[in-house]
Amino acid sequence: MKTRSFITMMVCLALSLAIAGVSYGAEKKKPTAELSLKYKDYNLVFVSFDALQAAHVSSLGYPKKVTPTIDEMAKNGFNFTNNISVASWTVPASMSWFTGVYPSEHKLTNKFAVFNPPNNKLSNLKELSPNLVTIAEVLKNSGYATGGFTGNAGVSGGFGYGQGFDQYFFDKGKFGSMGVSIPKALDWLKANKDKKFFMFLHGYDMHGQNVPAEGFDYRFVEKGYDKKFTGSAQEQEALREEGLEKGSVTLRDEDVKFWRAIYDEKIQRTDAKFKEFLAELQKLGLMDKTIFVLTSDHGTEFYEHKRFDHGFSLYDELIHVPLIIKLPKQKSGKVIKDQITSLDIMPTILDLLDVKMPEKAKTQLRGTSLVPSFKGKAVAKEVYSETDYRQYTYKRSIITKEGWKLIYTLENKSRELYNLKNDPKELKNLVEQEPKIAYELEQKLFAQFKSIGNDLNAKQWIPGLNPVYDSQAKGAQKK
Amino acid sequence: MMKYRRSRPVISSLLSAVALLSYVTVTAASGETSPGAAAPKARHENTNVILISLQCLRADHLGAYGYKRNTSANIDRLAGKSVLFENAISQANLTPIAQMSVLTSQYPRVNGMVSFEVTRDMVTARTLPEILKYYGYTTAATVSSPEFFMRFDTAGGELINPGDVFSRSFDYFGRTARGPEGTSLRVAPVDAFNWLKNNSDKKFFLWIGSGLLHMPYSATVPPPYKTMYDPPGYTPFWKKLPQLQGINDDAPSYDIFSRVYRNEFYRDFKPVYHLTEEDINYVTGRYDAGVYYTDQFIGDLMKLLDSLKLTEKTLIVLQSMHGDDLGENGLYFHYDVTDPVVKNALLLRFPDAEFGGKRIREQVQGLDVMPTILGYLEIPAPHDAQGANILPLIKGEKGATGSSEVFIDRLPWWEYTLSRWYLEMQSANGKEFSPAETKELLQYQKTLKESFTQLGYPPGDIAVRTLEWKLILRKNRELLEKLSWWGFITGKRQHHEDVELFDLKNDPMEKINVAGKHPETVSRLKKTLLQWDASVDSKKVKYAPAEKRMIIPYP
Repeated sequence: MKTRSFITMMVCLALSLAIAGVSYGAEKKKPTAELSLKYKDYNLVFVSFDALQAAHVSSLGYPKKVTPTIDEMAKNGFNFTNNISVASWTVPASMSWFTGVYPSEHKLTNKFAVFNPPNNKLSNLKELSPNLVTIAEVLKNSGYATGGFTGNAGVSGGFGYGQGFDQYFFDKGKFGSMGVSIPKALDWLKANKDKKFFMFLHGYDMHGQNVPAEGFDYRFVEKGYDKKFTGSAQEQEALREEGLEKGSVTLRDEDVKFWRAIYDEKIQRTDAKFKEFLAELQKLGLMDKTIFVLTSDHGTEFYEHKRFDHGFSLYDELIHVPLIIKLPKQKSGKVIKDQITSLDIMPTILDLLDVKMPEKAKTQLRGTSLVPSFKGKAVAKEVYSETDYRQYTYKRSIITKEGWKLIYTLENKSRELYNLKNDPKELKNLVEQEPKIAYELEQKLFAQFKSIGNDLNAKQWIPGLNPVYDSQAKGAQKK
Repeated sequence: MMKYRRSRPVISSLLSAVALLSYVTVTAASGETSPGAAAPKARHENTNVILISLQCLRADHLGAYGYKRNTSANIDRLAGKSVLFENAISQANLTPIAQMSVLTSQYPRVNGMVSFEVTRDMVTARTLPEILKYYGYTTAATVSSPEFFMRFDTAGGELINPGDVFSRSFDYFGRTARGPEGTSLRVAPVDAFNWLKNNSDKKFFLWIGSGLLHMPYSATVPPPYKTMYDPPGYTPFWKKLPQLQGINDDAPSYDIFSRVYRNEFYRDFKPVYHLTEEDINYVTGRYDAGVYYTDQFIGDLMKLLDSLKLTEKTLIVLQSMHGDDLGENGLYFHYDVTDPVVKNALLLRFPDAEFGGKRIREQVQGLDVMPTILGYLEIPAPHDAQGANILPLIKGEKGATGSSEVFIDRLPWWEYTLSRWYLEMQSANGKEFSPAETKELLQYQKTLKESFTQLGYPPGDIAVRTLEWKLILRKNRELLEKLSWWGFITGKRQHHEDVELFDLKNDPMEKINVAGKHPETVSRLKKTLLQWDASVDSKKVKYAPAEKRMIIPYP
């Protein structure tokens, strides 16, 4: 243990010396460990551990060791400790990876583009945003074999998630686990391992709507828990809906502990599956030719703000997620604390693989490549997130580099201002104490969305009545 | 020589670049900014703001705007150090409606200030003082327009104050001291002087609102000013009319002029007197006496600011909330959206008197005042502001054109205001109506009440104004014709045109409707006006709570 941290320290020292050398412009010999920053024609595996809260990842400071495989990659790769997802649930957040734009731009903000039963219209990327180019399309056009292997639901092919993939697996009607998607992925890999490939691997193993196929063994549950809850998907669903209906749920401390223990078990089991997946890649001889990007679409909440599940809010437990980028043969890693956004992932991948956006989509991407940060360049930025969760609420947030966070709820114009440095749990709303900061952040937030063509003042934000298409409100009024 | 001169800026910018570089190096090395080398202060850190809002002030009765009478030596002097706007248009013709648009930078139907009876919780839009308070300003208002205090309780027959909409975010919100007539309403708001003396050390926003110019004209103006422009030996016509025994007041009042239609005075639904030129001169003289007296107040205010050494650290905005008709169209008061009513004075005096004397012809509007003040103070304008920062226009920046189209809401109809409380208040005073009129009045009030629900009056009249044209649409023309006050007082149903178009260049007093001659202009302006109308309506849409809402099910 001690030895390990000593090594890390030495590596950090060496790295910072190297950076110092660069910045002084001296022609010193670069350390042999210096990595290339271009990986033309390398493979890339993009893994989404759906609903992995940053606070439950050991390499991000969680005291329990539930993520040994992920931690190993974090240690050897670039560990972004302040990656903020652009949304707090699967549908909008994941499509932003694939398109590099905000949910309000790709418009997959909800399952339905029109919800006016029985005349519903499922959201679909091609129909809502025909001009957007996906990362799979860009890579496919550059000669990549493209395969997506998912747990369906929020990343279902029905929404157009498969756009640009040679093969896109989703088991209809399921919140599928990696137990299902990994074997499919490996089958495809075996058939495509000699090509350069881009793979999207996803599973709901950590998500509330998925339980381990083999059942829980309650490995982290404290002895003596009265088993009010068992950890089932139904219980999770009931808590989620109760929170929505009543505005909050009531849980005892021991229940919260129980749910976190269940979550830890799910995470640990997923991590183990992922370890097996890596072992298979090793066997196929792909490890030295493959870049890994590990992340999550959103976190999840365990009563931190009196609710359960995710999507409704934009607190850090929901949008602060891990991001690890591991380069081929990379042996020494780096912790990058700069605040970044999940919108940066697509430009980073394209930068690493040395692939350009097509001419017609040259200006599409909202994020910026994180590659300069590998060499110590500051990439910290203001980040914005949004959720229109089930048309139940419409929220937008901004987090500054200095750690001020404003959450704005559009339907009632309510504002929450937090100082994340002093109050990382977002418990003390400072709107009254810091009216100037709240006011200026509100203006920035609105200006940002206006600048991307989404003037938040242009429409009424009415729960249940704010469709992507204007026709829905009219339809709803007739009823 | 030329060459040498041109190279100077390069050298100086090089020098400043070096200075900046060394500054950066120093601060980077020490790890923090030393207080001595702090960045220049944002203007909001040390600039006061005084907003002077004058009710019923007609721009064209000020010397600075070309008036022939010497009514405004002090305002003219201020104008010499200010930017003057020749075409500043208000969003509405009634005081609280127009002024709330100034304080919120939102159209009336968007900020919710759509009648005299709205309450504080119905207008939630951010106001200028609210934003300035975020930036550490002490905020105060000294106001003498009753519109900012008054509500009439129809049940109790009393003037009441149910929580003023305007006082929100003011640390101090006061009526001014009593004037010579013993009232604190419609007098010069001299309380502002005391407030300034006691608070000159603070960073402040002071709103000075004067209702002095409102009818009855010059009622609170003391002699000798009151009568300074009276035609020699003149007796007000109403004192000579046998039908009017009860009215002895010299001041041209609403009681009198609400009976004057096309310069005919009506009694018992008949024209009983035609106003002469001398009558009109008298009314105008009494109005101008109010302007003169107001100007004295402004002069005293400027002297005080000088003596308190505030002038050079204060942004002064002088505006009229709206004007008044003085008989040009046969109408008085501010019943409609005529140019004498909606075309306002607007002066901006910067602390350093920058751009002093500049006159700007492009159109600007009430909505622009707040974003401009905030822009000058280097404070971001609120995202839902509907006006523009006109500093680029003042600086003459390329592409800064002002508002080529300004939209005006005649909101609420004056008849609606009559229906809610005004007539009851007048009846309570009990002297204005003859027995025959009183009988009809009860029926008229009943019809009004039946036609309007509480705050539910139908869409009013809307107008769009450009530098060349004004187009007015009466959206509920038939209802207006049925309910028109002029219809009631003349005993003849009124007739309005569907569309009114006025050529402001050749017919500034809007006497001739030229809609028939310019079909293309009508169609173009009508289209933009209706688009605007729909856009402000869409912002106020509220869905009934019982209406079916569809939350999308999970997953």
